[in-house]
Amino acid sequence: MSHPTYFAVTTDTPDLNAVTALLKQPDVGAIITFTGSVRGATRRDGLPAQTLHLEYEAYARMAEEKMAQIAEEIWERWPLVKGIAIVQRVGTLQVGEMTTLVACAAGHRDQGAFEAARYGIDRLKQIVPVWKKEVGADHSVWIEGDYRPTSADNN
Amino acid sequence: MNLTIQLFATLKDRAGERHIDVTVAEPATVADVLNTISAEYPALAPALPSSLVAVNRQFAEPTTRVDVGDEVALFPPVSGG
Repeated sequence: MSHPTYFAVTTDTPDLNAVTALLKQPDVGAIITFTGSVRGATRRDGLPAQTLHLEYEAYARMAEEKMAQIAEEIWERWPLVKGIAIVQRVGTLQVGEMTTLVACAAGHRDQGAFEAARYGIDRLKQIVPVWKKEVGADHSVWIEGDYRPTSADNN
Repeated sequence: MNLTIQLFATLKDRAGERHIDVTVAEPATVADVLNTISAEYPALAPALPSSLVAVNRQFAEPTTRVDVGDEVALFPPVSGG
C-alpha cells in the first residue's frame, strides 16, 4: 500500500487542515473525518457528574503500532479506502477540546470511507493502549474499557 | 532473568511507579511473571486478574513466552478516544 498515512499520539491539537491536505491525493474525492471531544456532563454511576477535564495517558509506541494495524484492518475490509489518519491526544484536555481524530479517504463517498472511519474509532477504543481519567470537582476516576483484547487482536 | 514491567493508568497509580523490576526463572510465561508480581507487589495484586499484558507491544496470553530483553507492559482495558 502506498496510500498516505498519519498515526500519532500527541499533546498537540490535531490540525484538521493538515490532515485533510495529506489525504487529499489527486484520486481522492471523499474524506470522512471523525473527531471526538471532551464532554462536560456525563451520566454514569460512579463518575463525576460534571467533568472538569480529562487526563489521557498512552503507551505511545504500542499505540502508534496499533493505529497502523487498524489501518491494515480497514484496507482488508474496504479495499477502495485510500489514505488513513488516526490521532490520539494525551495530557490534560479541557471540555470541548478535540481528543481524537480518525479520517479515511476514498475516490467516492460510497467506497467504504464512512464505514471505515466508524470502524477506526470503534477499534481504537478496543485495542489502542490509551487511558483517560475523568477529573471532577470532588474526585477523579480512571475509565476502563469493556473490551479485553487477546492475541487474536494482534496483526 | 530480570524484567522491567511498564505500568500504566490504574496500575501505575497502585504501584506509585511507572515501572517495576521482577526476577523470574527461565523459561518464563506471562502467567509466571504475573504470579511473581502478585507475590512481590501486594498493591498490584487485586488489579492483576482484570489487567492486560503486552509483550513486545502485542497483546499476550497467560501462556505467552517471555524472554530476556522483551518489552513487557501491564495495563487495564483501554479507554481512549
